[in-house]
Amino acid sequence: METAGQIIGGETAAVLIRQKAGEPIELGDLLVAEGDGYTILQVKDLKYRSQIPQGMRELASGFNLEGYSGDVEFLEPELRNYIIAEARPILHVRDGKPLIPKRLPGFFREVRRIREGDLDFLERPRNPVFLGHVRSGSKVLDTPVYVDAVDAITHHILIPATTGRGKSNLVKVMLWSLAEMERVGILVLDPHDEYYGRNEAGLGRHPSDNVIYYSPDAPVGGNTLTINLRSLRPEHFEGIIPFTQAQEQAIARYHNEFGDEWIMKIVEGEELPGVQPVTLNVLRRIFDVTLGVYLDNEGNIKSRGGVFRDRGGDSTIKDIAASLEDGKIVVVDTSRLMGEAELLVGSVISAEIFRRYQHYKATGELRRKPVIGIVIEEAPRVLGKEVIERQGNNIYSTIAREGRKFNIGLIAITQLVSLIPRTVLANMNTKIILGNEMAQERAEIIGSASQDLSDDNRTIASLDKGEAIVSSIFTKFAVPVKIPLFEEFIESAGLESEDTEDEKIDFIG
Amino acid sequence: MYRFAHLSDCHLGAQKQPDLRELEFEAFRMALDDALQNDVDFMIIAGDLFHSNIPNMETVKRATLELRRVREAGVPIYVNYGSHDYSPSSTSMIDILESAGVIDKVVRPIPGKKLGLEFTVDEKTGAKITGLSGRSRTLEVDYFMRLDREALEAEEGFRIFLFHSAITQFKPADLADMESVDLNLFPRGFEYYAGGHVHRKGCYIEEGYGPIVYPGTLFGSYAGDLEENARGEKRGYYLVEFTDKVRETEFREISPAEFDYIECDVTGKNSQDAYHQIGREISGHDVTGKVVMLKIRGELSSGRTSDIDSASIRERLESMGARVVQINRYGLSTREIQKVRVVESDVPRLERRIFREKLAGLDIKNRSLIDGGDSIAVELLRRLENEKAPGENRNEYERRITEDAEDVLGLDLGGDDT
Repeated sequence: METAGQIIGGETAAVLIRQKAGEPIELGDLLVAEGDGYTILQVKDLKYRSQIPQGMRELASGFNLEGYSGDVEFLEPELRNYIIAEARPILHVRDGKPLIPKRLPGFFREVRRIREGDLDFLERPRNPVFLGHVRSGSKVLDTPVYVDAVDAITHHILIPATTGRGKSNLVKVMLWSLAEMERVGILVLDPHDEYYGRNEAGLGRHPSDNVIYYSPDAPVGGNTLTINLRSLRPEHFEGIIPFTQAQEQAIARYHNEFGDEWIMKIVEGEELPGVQPVTLNVLRRIFDVTLGVYLDNEGNIKSRGGVFRDRGGDSTIKDIAASLEDGKIVVVDTSRLMGEAELLVGSVISAEIFRRYQHYKATGELRRKPVIGIVIEEAPRVLGKEVIERQGNNIYSTIAREGRKFNIGLIAITQLVSLIPRTVLANMNTKIILGNEMAQERAEIIGSASQDLSDDNRTIASLDKGEAIVSSIFTKFAVPVKIPLFEEFIESAGLESEDTEDEKIDFIG
Repeated sequence: MYRFAHLSDCHLGAQKQPDLRELEFEAFRMALDDALQNDVDFMIIAGDLFHSNIPNMETVKRATLELRRVREAGVPIYVNYGSHDYSPSSTSMIDILESAGVIDKVVRPIPGKKLGLEFTVDEKTGAKITGLSGRSRTLEVDYFMRLDREALEAEEGFRIFLFHSAITQFKPADLADMESVDLNLFPRGFEYYAGGHVHRKGCYIEEGYGPIVYPGTLFGSYAGDLEENARGEKRGYYLVEFTDKVRETEFREISPAEFDYIECDVTGKNSQDAYHQIGREISGHDVTGKVVMLKIRGELSSGRTSDIDSASIRERLESMGARVVQINRYGLSTREIQKVRVVESDVPRLERRIFREKLAGLDIKNRSLIDGGDSIAVELLRRLENEKAPGENRNEYERRITEDAEDVLGLDLGGDDT
């Protein structure tokens, strides 16, 4: 056994381990103490200790720094000066079964570094979503970490991360696994057009035909995102665009009077008894700004950006919903849309899926349908306390509350967890925590995690790019993970689709 | 100023009932007459001139006479294959008519890494026509993906792109299941896009493209089409005027018969009450000389669906003077018998739904079969329905059917060696 240290004291939450000289222990390292099976401990803090009194050490340092004599050395320094690691027992493994540790490992027990075989209980689930490999400090083990897609998605996934900590990379790695699954359909609202990978590595290179891309200016092979104005109903705007009471009443009147032509009639400026012209004009401006639809000088409805339009795009929402029901990943590039319009696109699709799945539940067909996950960035825009209080519930908050019943879940990404209500956070039962330097946000993440992360504050702050902690009700402990770089991941696994451009065309027609 | 007529989806030979078959042909003849009377310089038929690649001889004979009449009037007819009259071995009736000089097939590939297409130049007008054929299950999307768009876009002149595919952006919401091709796969900047395959008319204006036009079916091939006729959907073709660009597109309605649509929802009734309700409903209609589309739908509270006697309902409508009676009862079910759990408005959709339901219950490893098995099954069923053509010997027939089946299933069984 390569000893890394020895337990010399401490308590349940912080076992003290003296580090063996020349065997540096890192923050987050996983150590193993054997005895009645073995206990896995995770290092939470590191401290210097010395047998030499403080005054002597300061004096010796002064001699060295000020050049009073040659180098001052301590006698048997590795015995007198050392590092103490504070570690928490995170798991006890007996007969191959992981258990929550209820007693301390043996006193003065030597500890070693974790090995791949120590984590054999981390089984590959039935619907595996690959997240990365187990990480011990900054060392990466050859033990892959998966969560079960069906369990995790229906119980919602939260990815808290600040900019530059690798969340896009993580989501791409996750989606790559999900694209191989028939039992899961994923809607990705992509405000930065970064997941499909028009010009760089992305899901577009997946060898299956399971990734479908919609964009206002889709490349060859993609789908042009067009949504007919008739597809939009007043409820799609709920909680997305803040209308006044007068505007809401006006919208209800137009919808009652004109049915699915209601937006067009408003844009055309058709007056309706009981609706003030000023209200009508404000609504026209709102639709102009958010949807980009307006009336030109010849009285024709025009679409700025071409997404929301009065002709064409009739089947887009149904097409997307059907693809999701077929277990595909649908990436919708919303980078050219205003913020509200992006949420609205998601709202229309999510509402259609929610409606269908409610129906399937009623008819008993739900168990035959794939679970649906919705990837939403900057989640507080729709799940934020203030937003919900000010604008009421929207389809996303409804899914956060009730989606599990209908096999629909959210994969919410945010920098600001503190803006999301505790009740919603408590429903997000898998959290993939990336580095976060904001103390308040870390406190919220820790407070809502599925495991006790109370002494992981510093660890979360020190997570490097691509490092994460997976805290989930479906894992026995908060698993430290190293997420591979997406490009290297698909390249090393030889997973990319082959270029067929050079194949001869066998033309019939 | 020049003119051309743009027709599509004539589906000659689709109707089995003699009266409907007559009307189907009448619509075709009326459209050609109307186009000739409007002095068109050429005609375009954007696929599915025939309902199958080897239609029955009577249909072929009559169609040939009509097409030759147009040709003899100095009006060329430019066509492509549709998804119905397409043949993987160039043995479609379209090919035979082309060999006889009656029509011009304008889909002409240029070999290369990318799929180049030659233009067919209309002698009189100078219009340059090219395009792609339709294939079953929208397999033509592969061709669209490999299309040499740059070369096509670089061509100068009045260019027409002929195609037989639904365009994703323009699919009607109720046809969301229909496979389609995104508009971004089309070459941009053509002066006119002559579409077929979608059975409803539509003219779309899109930035960077000339008018994108679907005339829709001329009469209708399925009961669902005829039901739409009865519900007021206009059928016909587009008459297009152009110089160096399109000046006007006019939809010319072709209506060979009057239709009447009667729908009876018998939900909650027992079979006897339902039968009486249908009787009361039809008695309120003047059906003299009309094609009557009667749709019976809903779930009976008791009794069998067969208790509602279609024959006597038909007799009654005929005695009231109806020219043709079509009864659609695919949406009819009963609480007593729950075997049929899918409700659709016409046979192809019903077949597709049934196949899909069955597929969902099977343990299939092949992903493509899970995704597209229903389409394959429906298409295979349709191909296997093709009868032996007059003059075709048994071996030829078997070979044709085998080739069709191979094409649908994406197999190569080795031709004559097997």
